[in-house]
Amino acid sequence: MPFLTHGAHRVRYELDGPKDAPAYVLVNGLTQYSELWGAYRDALVSKGFRVATFDLLGQGASDKPELFISQDDQVEALHLLIGELGGGPVFLGGISFGGLITLRYAIEHGDKIAGLVPMSAFAELSPQLMLLGNALRTGLILGGTSYLQDLLLPMNLSDSWLKPLLGNLDAVKRQGWLINDVYALQNLMESFLDFRPLTPLLPRITAPTMILNGEFDFLTPRSLHETLRLGIPDSSLVIIPNAYHAFTLEKAALTADLLARFAEDVLAKRWQGNKAVWIAPDEAGGNMIPFPAGYDHLRAIPVQKATS
Amino acid sequence: MNQFLGPLDSAQRIPPLQQTRIASFLISAHGALAKQLAINLPGQLKAGWQTELNAQLHREAEIVSLLMRATSWVPDFTLPYQALMWEAAWLPKAIPGISDQVLAMTIDIAALGHAVHGAIRPAALLPEDVSADDPFVVALRRIEFESSRLIQAQIRFLKSDELKPVRAAVSTAVEGRHRQVRKLWAELLAGIGITRHAESAQAEA
Repeated sequence: MPFLTHGAHRVRYELDGPKDAPAYVLVNGLTQYSELWGAYRDALVSKGFRVATFDLLGQGASDKPELFISQDDQVEALHLLIGELGGGPVFLGGISFGGLITLRYAIEHGDKIAGLVPMSAFAELSPQLMLLGNALRTGLILGGTSYLQDLLLPMNLSDSWLKPLLGNLDAVKRQGWLINDVYALQNLMESFLDFRPLTPLLPRITAPTMILNGEFDFLTPRSLHETLRLGIPDSSLVIIPNAYHAFTLEKAALTADLLARFAEDVLAKRWQGNKAVWIAPDEAGGNMIPFPAGYDHLRAIPVQKATS
Repeated sequence: MNQFLGPLDSAQRIPPLQQTRIASFLISAHGALAKQLAINLPGQLKAGWQTELNAQLHREAEIVSLLMRATSWVPDFTLPYQALMWEAAWLPKAIPGISDQVLAMTIDIAALGHAVHGAIRPAALLPEDVSADDPFVVALRRIEFESSRLIQAQIRFLKSDELKPVRAAVSTAVEGRHRQVRKLWAELLAGIGITRHAESAQAEA
């Protein structure tokens, strides 16, 4: 189990795939751990990528700072990991909290990455997201990690994913519960106490950017991704059909395929962001469909865009 | 070395020697917190947040009482030496950089509480097939659950604006207490054939 050293803390990471290949670095969501990217490692390595995953400070097998974990420290840890990858092209993807960390990285170290994929991400705390975050933190404090998981599972995953697991949810939750500590998760949540919106800084992101958003993402809905699409110059927004906030868990094959195709397009100089809005296929390998012209992608019902 | 307690007996219970050692350690640690709170709790509360300290005192005592009754005890001749070592470890420590001795002692008690409630996760030692109705199992789950609530008082105090001017010293004190508690916990677990990678790694770091 290799570790990077950031100050007094150790960050556990894993590298897979050929050393000289283009690399994908994947950043966990707040309650996750790097093993959850296992399917992505397999899929992306089979397509010729190198894959780097790690536990954020406060997560899994990385050190868990006792009182404070700043988001700047997470960005620095990510910077260390990317420094381990040599000089080849690096694509950076992250889910939810990890998506936020990738945005911060792209703003500060944009020259180090060839492409960016924020997934279920946000650049600011809308009133809904802030209040939901506060409620989740209270849930963690009063009910522990298990109760937080109880809140997140139905919020972030579909009925079709949950239904076959209903009799076995404790087993689904167990590894996350074992590996994550309440005070460390709380520290990660409390890293938002001094959060400042990244929205004004998004135009600094020069890397090609594919923004992925689940069709039914309740926690970070379309409007938050729209902020990214409008702010990041070379971006496209891709809506994942029938998907919720944690679609990287639920639709790993499709998402890994989208990541690979994005990187291949960028490397072949075929990528054109154009702030376009796309609908992803239902399955890996299918075609992307442009969002129907004239309709408002921020609405859940087919409402025609107001003409300006 | 295993990650979880066991092997379980035919009734899916934890072996009595493992129960005895874990309960002894937890009684020592939570008992120390109860004693320190009893000594330092003001007779007349002066601030709202101090009401939490009164609750803490009684919950720590409850944990001790619960373990006394829920554990299947067996004689263990290593305990007197180990208990002495633990009790010595919990004694109040000076905190370099903080000259106000009352404040330093309060920070040290909070740091020890943070470490005991945050770094020790007894329920995470339970295998999946353990009896859910066994009193010792229920006690470990209850202690871990209560710890995540009890630690809130320490978090509030140690992260408070009041301590901003001495934040570096506070962080060092908390890190030190965590290192100490993790090391003792890891040693105890190693003595009953358990290793938990994260705890060992952080104890060694």
